[in-house]
Amino acid sequence: MDQAAIHTLLLGAWTTAWISAVAIAGGVPLGLALALLREARIPVVGHIIVLYVSLGRATPLVTLVLFIFVGAPVLGIPLDRYTAAIMTLLLNTAAFNAEVWRAAIRSFPHEQVEAARAAGMTRALIFRRIMLPQIWITSLPGLVNEMTFLIKASPAIAVIGIVDLTRVTNRISAVTYEPLPPILVAAALYMVVIGTLVRLQRLLDARAQRLTM
Amino acid sequence: MDTGAPPFAVEVRNVSKSFAGIEVLRDVCLNVAHGQTVSVLGPSGSGKSTLLRCINWLEEPDSGEIFVAGVRIGVRADGKTHMPDRDLAQMRARIGMVFQSFNLWPHLSVIENVTEAPIHVLGMAKDEAIGRAEKLLEKVGIVEKRDAYPYVLSGGQKQRVGIARALAMNPEVILFDEPTSALDPELVGEVLAVMRALAEEGMTMVVVSHEMAFAREVSDEIVFIDQGSVVERQPPGAFFDRPQTARARQFLSRYT
Amino acid sequence: MNKWEILWNHREMILGGFKSTLVLFGVSAVAAFLLSSLIVLAMRTGRGPSGRVVRGIVDGMRMLPFLIYAYILYYGLPSLGIRFDAWTAGFIALITYHAAYFAEILRGTWATLSTGQAEAARAHGFTTFMMYRRIILPQLVLRAAPVLGNQLIICLKDTAFLSIITVRELTAAASAVQSQYFIPFEAFIVAIGLYWLTSMLIEALVARIGFVAEGKGLGYRRAAVRR
Repeated sequence: MDQAAIHTLLLGAWTTAWISAVAIAGGVPLGLALALLREARIPVVGHIIVLYVSLGRATPLVTLVLFIFVGAPVLGIPLDRYTAAIMTLLLNTAAFNAEVWRAAIRSFPHEQVEAARAAGMTRALIFRRIMLPQIWITSLPGLVNEMTFLIKASPAIAVIGIVDLTRVTNRISAVTYEPLPPILVAAALYMVVIGTLVRLQRLLDARAQRLTM
Repeated sequence: MDTGAPPFAVEVRNVSKSFAGIEVLRDVCLNVAHGQTVSVLGPSGSGKSTLLRCINWLEEPDSGEIFVAGVRIGVRADGKTHMPDRDLAQMRARIGMVFQSFNLWPHLSVIENVTEAPIHVLGMAKDEAIGRAEKLLEKVGIVEKRDAYPYVLSGGQKQRVGIARALAMNPEVILFDEPTSALDPELVGEVLAVMRALAEEGMTMVVVSHEMAFAREVSDEIVFIDQGSVVERQPPGAFFDRPQTARARQFLSRYT
Repeated sequence: MNKWEILWNHREMILGGFKSTLVLFGVSAVAAFLLSSLIVLAMRTGRGPSGRVVRGIVDGMRMLPFLIYAYILYYGLPSLGIRFDAWTAGFIALITYHAAYFAEILRGTWATLSTGQAEAARAHGFTTFMMYRRIILPQLVLRAAPVLGNQLIICLKDTAFLSIITVRELTAAASAVQSQYFIPFEAFIVAIGLYWLTSMLIEALVARIGFVAEGKGLGYRRAAVRR
């Protein structure tokens, strides 16, 4: 692979990286918001969230990104492909994150909340100072796990014309007529990033275990 | 050279075994005649369980030979090559084992636990296996729980199922590896009662246990092992009343 | 004519795509599971290098995006002289990729089984293979049902990636219909609805297995307690 090809490949890697990063950064808090809304037991909202999470976890990313990119203009919302891609990844990852946060919230020891309330703390304060720091630690392994899934599924955005790390290999081989090298390098790059996240996840798992002692 | 009818159900000849450099069995010899009940006694860590587990080759001795019903186990007839998995399995089908932790198969009901090996190892027809299993469960006093799953049973009940499961294979000999050590005291009696009945019927049994009263009343021979060697070999009355070695006396003093 | 009517008139395209998705998913899921059962046995009983090689491949697959793997099989291998058509590449990708994931799930579950029962099986004359088939594997499926179910749903969703390597499955069909007849919402809503329906069926199946497991005391909660 020559200089130009490597350069193109790295551009593709960058595209995957920044789009994934934005989706991850938004998806974690969005998932938390959804989980909290659900636990608040507001009548209609709760059901909508359950429906959304169920659909979000069952819909393939390829289908979803096509739906959003092609469907939005029909509603009169103009979307460039990058926004569509980020929105899709965000909606998808938030659905999974909502379940991770929900499990952490559910398993949080109620006695701590009672103790805090007895000490006179408001609900907001309890959440901010007592609950959040701890469920953050117990959720992290699941959230990082979901990050690896997001990166593994991110090639779906290629279908709306974004030249990500996977699609870029088509570009390169169209010029060099040698498809295998760029594909293998792209595979290696993905594996390095995902492998690092998996290792991180194991470390976080150990830390979370200590908290549940 | 083995010729004619095998005189012994189990023959252990000069078996030695080490774990991580520590000698657990030293040149152990043991013979169990058909219909005999032999109790293997000794302090913890003396190698009794290891010896038992060598008989059905769950542990592999470093040296020595073991014969069950006259056939050498673990090694081929030429004495050199390892026995292949299938032949070993066939030999084990004729040796019953009852475990300290029962080791029932949790996804199978009581009756399924007892019929599983006869059907899939011996190739018995399902109806025949079920019929035999029900009789055995009746014998150990637990037939009313035939469709229950292990997780609802008490320890004593599980162990009785374990004994029925071993009997279902019609074995030449049954090995008991501390069968009551994991049981609450009030449940020990029901298991010992079943074992006593088996001994009286003439089943060949090798029992590793700490139940001294049982060993005294039911065994035909006591084999006392300490630090990997057979120290004494006597009939129960002689062993318990007139132990010949200091180590045996020291061991027995803890139980009187 | 409203858009739903247009969609209805061309429903065979969508249904044809759905059938393809179901075939891809169904065949691959079963084959992947069977393959994974053998892989796990190899991982547990493999001595020395072969066991480690298998582990390495399984770990590697779990760090690889599915589409890149499909790319290797469909676009990459031809330069080594191995040419697969899109469907074959799709099947190979789905089967081998998810076999690795199933294998990891089963391996992890095997580690939670009490060790004595395998000994009891061997003591009763079961060969290793028989013991695995009758004693170990059924428990692995009963205990790991929810996690296996999740992986099945991921397998279903991965079939959609194959539209990118030109396999005419449900997403490709919906895309074709909507671009031809200008009915983007309707076509994709139906497609998403069909994926959703299929994953609900998978979850119902998993729930049934979970119910059976509970009856034997092997349910998800009890599985954490080793007896």
